[in-house]
Amino acid sequence: MGVTCVCQVPVAEGKSVQQTVDLLHKKLEQLGAVKQGSFCVDCETYHAAGSTSGQPPKLLYVMHNSETPLSCMAMFEGGPCLTADGNFDVLMVKLKSHFQNAKSHKVESRGARYQYCDFLVKVGTITMSSSARGISVEVEYCPCVVPGDCWNLMKEFMHSFLGTNVPELPSVFTAKPEGLYAPADSTDTMTQYLELFSKVRKQQVVSGSTVR
Amino acid sequence: MEAPPVTVMPVTGGTINMMEYLLQGSVLDQALDSLLHRLRGLCDNMEPESFADHEMVYLLKGQQGNPFLLRARRSLAHPPAPWHLRYLGQPEVGDKSRHALVRNCVDVATSHSLPEFLNEMGFRMDHEFVAKGHIFRKGSLKVVVSKLFRVLVQGNTENTEPLSLSYLVELSVLAPAGQDTVSEDMRAFAEQLKPLVHLEKIDPKRHM
Repeated sequence: MGVTCVCQVPVAEGKSVQQTVDLLHKKLEQLGAVKQGSFCVDCETYHAAGSTSGQPPKLLYVMHNSETPLSCMAMFEGGPCLTADGNFDVLMVKLKSHFQNAKSHKVESRGARYQYCDFLVKVGTITMSSSARGISVEVEYCPCVVPGDCWNLMKEFMHSFLGTNVPELPSVFTAKPEGLYAPADSTDTMTQYLELFSKVRKQQVVSGSTVR
Repeated sequence: MEAPPVTVMPVTGGTINMMEYLLQGSVLDQALDSLLHRLRGLCDNMEPESFADHEMVYLLKGQQGNPFLLRARRSLAHPPAPWHLRYLGQPEVGDKSRHALVRNCVDVATSHSLPEFLNEMGFRMDHEFVAKGHIFRKGSLKVVVSKLFRVLVQGNTENTEPLSLSYLVELSVLAPAGQDTVSEDMRAFAEQLKPLVHLEKIDPKRHM
């Protein structure tokens, strides 16, 4: 578990989602990264049934990350977050009269996992209802858990294959009371994915982008 | 840094429904030692394990029907351990000859943010208590001998008073649905504990 940065990479001019993903893979392989399996991060949305009048229903997000296959993360946007084991999904089924699963809102990012020395890079195609909505890139610097100590190094590494698409310092790290020097954990990674998925859900469908 | 296996199969489809089989009884404080002695002899050879847990019971009131009940339990003896969230379904109304109380059971280990998370979901704490005692095991059978304490000031587990002058004895097994030989094994074990303690199937509804 290291410091993770999740960002969205725009689809290259005149190219499809798949072609842009392939370009990124090629750049990583040229750097010397080695493909090591695949990854999947998904997010399901539940809304509280029968909420009080006038207020929009509270949304509960349940996320899974293949990097931690036996766990799941449940969170309210901007609210408390819970890490639980796989049985939490079974519990949500029992709670179905109180929390309804908005199946059409399920978003997931799937793709290849690359290792380059101490970095783990995951390039994923974000899909919602079988249509590709964008590209996510997750970069993890494994030896360090303090964002303030390694952000510059991560930015330099990301520049070598993302070029001008290098993201800003993720707001999860700056928003903490102790600032950049608080240790990062898996909640920070999942919060970044949640922000990305929420943004993608609101975007228009990328034209000509059914997943092949 | 090998990739962990990516499971394609969703957890919700095809999960095994676990059932809890339960027999309960009680012994007066004075009789505790002889019961523990016999359990030590009958159960698997291991260091006697004692525990001190704080359990909070949460209710979610829906628009119709009974409120949804969840039990959140944490260890007072091992504070860093994960919290244990438990759902217990309605007891199965089967044939009367079944010897134990059978109900659907879902156990989830969670992080320490559980109380705030449950509150955010809409659950409200109904009551809490502290349980201290011993746990024994014989194969898949679990015997828990515990004393329950009432929490006098909400959230303060230091200040408690015993609920009664006795210890609660529970014999339970967690097994997938459909395994009816389990209650036979439980009955056989319960026979060996007589006359120190009489374990029986207690229907929670009849005592409400």
